[in-house]
Amino acid sequence: MSIEVTGISKSFGSFRALNNVTLTVPSGELVALLGPSGSGKTTLLRIIAGLEQADAGSGAILFHDEDVARRDVRDRHVGFVFQHYALFRHMTVFQNVAFGLEVAPRKSRKSVADIRDRVRELLKLVQLEGYADRYPSQLSGGQRQRIALARALAVEPKVLLLDEPFGALDAKVRKELRAWLRRLHDEIHVTSVFVTHDQDEALEVSDQVVVMNEGHIEQIGTPEDIFHHPATEFVMRFLGDVNQFHGRVEAGHVHLGDVALPGLLAPEGAIDSATIFVRPHDIELDTRRNGHPVVEATVRRVYSAGPISRVELVMQTGQELAVTVPHDRVESLHLNTGSAVFVKLRRARVFA
Amino acid sequence: MAISAHPHPHNPSGRVLRPAIQESALVRRLLIGVSVVFLVTFLFLPLAAIFAEAIKGGSKAWIIGLADPAAWSAIKLTLAVALIAVPLNLVFGLAASWAIGKFDFIGRNLLLTLIDLPFAVSPVISGLVYVLLYGAHGWFGPWLQSENIQIIFAVPGIVLATIFVTFPFVAREVIPLMQEQGTEEEEAAITLGAHGWQTFWRVTLPNVKWALLYGVILCNARAMGEFGAVSVVSGHIRGKTNTMPLHIEILYNEYNFAAAFAVASVLALLALVTLAAKAAVERYSLSAPATAPAEPILIVSNLTEEPAR
Repeated sequence: MSIEVTGISKSFGSFRALNNVTLTVPSGELVALLGPSGSGKTTLLRIIAGLEQADAGSGAILFHDEDVARRDVRDRHVGFVFQHYALFRHMTVFQNVAFGLEVAPRKSRKSVADIRDRVRELLKLVQLEGYADRYPSQLSGGQRQRIALARALAVEPKVLLLDEPFGALDAKVRKELRAWLRRLHDEIHVTSVFVTHDQDEALEVSDQVVVMNEGHIEQIGTPEDIFHHPATEFVMRFLGDVNQFHGRVEAGHVHLGDVALPGLLAPEGAIDSATIFVRPHDIELDTRRNGHPVVEATVRRVYSAGPISRVELVMQTGQELAVTVPHDRVESLHLNTGSAVFVKLRRARVFA
Repeated sequence: MAISAHPHPHNPSGRVLRPAIQESALVRRLLIGVSVVFLVTFLFLPLAAIFAEAIKGGSKAWIIGLADPAAWSAIKLTLAVALIAVPLNLVFGLAASWAIGKFDFIGRNLLLTLIDLPFAVSPVISGLVYVLLYGAHGWFGPWLQSENIQIIFAVPGIVLATIFVTFPFVAREVIPLMQEQGTEEEEAAITLGAHGWQTFWRVTLPNVKWALLYGVILCNARAMGEFGAVSVVSGHIRGKTNTMPLHIEILYNEYNFAAAFAVASVLALLALVTLAAKAAVERYSLSAPATAPAEPILIVSNLTEEPAR
């Protein structure tokens, strides 16, 4: 079941949460909505679910070419997983998972025995078979979220929507659970959209990443695409660490100090200055000039605990720069506070 | 951490180490002593006096006091009024809490303030308002008279005044809980296909049932004990429009102390039963999963996070 969102807008009072958002989620894919808080990602998810209504007169929401915008939540057949689980606290795990099956209209309701079998099957799927009689308060966060997922899957939703599903969990459990979610999705292939503000999570789990900012979509693409070919300044800054400094524009090329950065054409409309973006791992350091156009810099500090060392530099232009290099490179170059180095920007970007 | 948490038994200074919030034995005894003296003087002694006075003349006098048809009628009326007022306020309180706790609408704060009105105004005024509206010279008085409906100085007036006075009890208990619980569980229920009614019965109501019961008990206690508002609208017709508190006052004013304390002891007994019920609800609600704290530390600490396979 594909999801198509066309031209959706949503305002809360004078705050514009979504501005003319258009998005297609292909059938069977796992798509991440990634953005900082307030970017509108949760609002978009809730509108797709039907928990929130888009502004009157704004676009359509299609589930497999069928407009569901005017359809009630309970008739959209979505599975929704909440950040804080929203398990029914007065019900056991079994009753929670069975809920959707038990409230079904009489004519389409399964028999008691079938419901029991289905719940068992789901508990097995989320690896919590022995927990049927527990109450949510007796489970850990990760277990609760898996029960919430089983509960959502019980009604065989056409679409699975997850709102910051791992947001309330600690780092270790979060990592385990997201790998598990990816494997689960490979198993059941239900079209899924999940919201996150954690770029690692989005890049690791999803087939497609939708980067959102201030109510609009910045970029849609595969995790590799988004990371290696950011389309906008915002995407560049949001996905991982980045160095950012001013460069001069001269004859259509961007210069850092006296050095023209190769292949870096000035964006259209840039008269005399442009902002240069470089990821810390896209920088090479050497203690000798080796023919390439390089910038001179002084080491201010070396952080070398860990597999990758982080070097802080001050360039001769006075601008600061953070670089990550393998630890043995730091050793072979004998980098210390005060060392003079030559910097080569392997891949720098400017945005219009 | 370890040092401050486990003071060394042989600490060299010789001073007794104690947790920072613990007061010295003298201060503790003083505080407890003051509380006990206060409670005994102002609460326990008067209560004991009621029962002592009631049985002073022996069980025979007590039975005679209660066997009086007027006393019996007062007991029945009191129970009947509570039986009408409490369910009505249960329904109203639940509806108002649902609206206020789960939805955002224009006039929400006004409604919240109005619910508190009966707490704020004197019960006498509550009674007078009904006289003003439904009394013989009140706004609707002539019409009611022409239709031969009597509200003031009759049972309907007593019921109305009682409902007014006990208005806030249920709502005040349930609203904070509903606000705290938010709407996520309801949202989960409707995404799973539940209709409004199913959501209410299966999710919303079970989550507030203990608070609701608590509110009902408080509401009942006040409904049975209300004096001021009821006194204004009742008319004090012996055997007809006297509730227990009113009847006790009349007996007392007639120097019929034995009978007054006999009825008073029954009313006090009803109050004690209500208190016991309240304590039981508190105890059960704490052990029930519905209102148990989200993270019962003792239980969770026994569970280790299962690695996702």
